Amino acid sequence: MVIDLRRCIGCHTCEVACKMENRVPLGVWPAWVKQVEKGYYPNVRKSFLPLLCDHCDNPSCVTVCPTNASFKRKDGIVMIDPHTCIGCRYCMMACPYAVRYVHPIQKIVQKCSFCSHRVDAGLKPACVEACATGARVFGNLLDPQEEVAILKNTHPVQTIKPEYGTHPNIYYIGLDKDAVSTLGKPR
Amino acid sequence: MIEILYNVEHQEAAGLLIAIYFYLTGISAGSFILSTLAYVFGQVKFRPIGKIAVILATVVLIIAPMALLIHVGRPLRAWRLFYNINFTSPISWGSFLLTFYPINCIIYGYFIFKNNARMTKLFGTIGIPLAVSVHGYCGFILGFAKARHLWNTALMPILFLVSAIVSGIALVIFVVYIRDKFFSREGKVNEVLILDLAKLMGGFLLLDLFLVLSDVLILLAGSEEAIRAGWLLLTGKFAIPFLGVENGLGKIIPTILIFSAKLRTTNRLVWASFLVMFGIFFMRFVVVLAGEFYPLI
Repeated sequence: MVIDLRRCIGCHTCEVACKMENRVPLGVWPAWVKQVEKGYYPNVRKSFLPLLCDHCDNPSCVTVCPTNASFKRKDGIVMIDPHTCIGCRYCMMACPYAVRYVHPIQKIVQKCSFCSHRVDAGLKPACVEACATGARVFGNLLDPQEEVAILKNTHPVQTIKPEYGTHPNIYYIGLDKDAVSTLGKPR
Repeated sequence: MIEILYNVEHQEAAGLLIAIYFYLTGISAGSFILSTLAYVFGQVKFRPIGKIAVILATVVLIIAPMALLIHVGRPLRAWRLFYNINFTSPISWGSFLLTFYPINCIIYGYFIFKNNARMTKLFGTIGIPLAVSVHGYCGFILGFAKARHLWNTALMPILFLVSAIVSGIALVIFVVYIRDKFFSREGKVNEVLILDLAKLMGGFLLLDLFLVLSDVLILLAGSEEAIRAGWLLLTGKFAIPFLGVENGLGKIIPTILIFSAKLRTTNRLVWASFLVMFGIFFMRFVVVLAGEFYPLI
C-alpha cells in the first residue's frame, strides 16, 4: 500500500470505515490516524500519519508467535488465525509498530488484515475504499503496471522504522519525521 | 514544538505476572543448580542443602506456569503450544522445557530421597542443561522482542541466568536458616555452610553487577531509543527501583555484607540473602515494565 500524505487531510474516515468493516470493539483500533501539531504561531502545521499493520516482508510477530497463529500469506498479507491464537501477547512485545491489540471480547490478539476477506473477493480494503481524498492506494507492489507500484517507484517514499529490518510494505509519500517520533505519553 | 493531538496508545503486552513468572523460574533454576553441586559435582559441604534445594526448585516451578496461564488470554488453548510448534519462537521452546524440567526435578528429587547415588547423578546431569535453558529461554523471550531496545540485547539470557543463580542461592540460604533455627531438634544453625553459600552468592552478585553495568553503558551508547531506555533506568521513573532497590539494596549492600570480614555475621548474611531475593524481584519488575514504558509510535 502507498499512502500519499500530501493528500491526507486527517479526517479519520479510514479509521471509522475499518472499525465498521471488521466489527472492531470499542477502545481498540486496527488502523488510526496519528495527528501532530508543530511549530509556533503563525508558522504552524498539522501532520497526519495514518497507521496500520505494515505487513512486513520479515515480520517479527511471525518469528516469535509460539503457535503459528500469526502467519504470512502467499500474497504477503500478515494474518492472525483467531482459532490458534492463545493470547500470549508475545507478538505485541515484538512488533515495532504497536499495531496489535488484545480483542476485548475474544481475548486474543488482533490487528489489520488488509481486509483479506475483501481482497479475496477482488475488492479493495475498507480504508482504501473510504478514503475521501484518494490518499491510500492499494495493490500488488510487484506488478510494475499497477498504480501502487508506479507511485512507489516514481516518488520519494519512506517506510516507518526501516532500521528494524522488518521491510514494511506501507510506503508513505511525504512522511514527516516529527509525526513518526515517539515523544508521546509514556505508560 | 511538537504536540501530539491524537494517537492510539499501545497496550501493555507483558505485565507484573510475567515479571513474577521470570522471578519464580529463576529461583527454581538457581536452587536446582545449587542442589546439583552436592550430588553431581561431589561438593560434599553442600550435601545438607541438597534436599531442600530440590524441593524448592520443584515446588516453585510448579507454581510458575500458573502466572503464565493467568496472563494469556485463552489459557484453555495452551495445548496449541505443543501442537502448532514454531521453532523460531522462544515461547515454543519454553513450553517443552517447562514440561520436561519439573518432571526431571521430581524424578531427581525422588532418587535423592531414596539415596540412590547413581540415578541421582544421572538425573542431576540431565537436569543441569534443562535448568539452564528453562531460565535462559526467559532471557531469549525478551531478547527476541525486537521492538524494545531494553530487551533486544544479547546480554539478556546471560543476565537472566546469573540473576537466577543469585536468587536461587539466596532463597536456599533463607530457607535453610529458618529450617535450622526453628524446625530442627537442636535449633542450631550451620554457620559454615551459610558462609560458604553466601560467598558463592557474592561471587555471582559481582558478576551480575558487572553485567548490569555493561548493559546500561552500552544502552547509553546506542540508538536514540536505546539511550532513552538507558536514561529511564538511571534518572527517569525507574531510577529508584533500578538504582535504589535492585542494585543498591539488592546487590551492593549484600555484597559488602558478604565480603567484609568485619561486618559479616550469620544473621547479617541471612538478611543479605533476603535483600538479594527482594532485589532480584525488582530486577524482573524493572526489566519487564521499563521495557515497554515508552510508546513505539
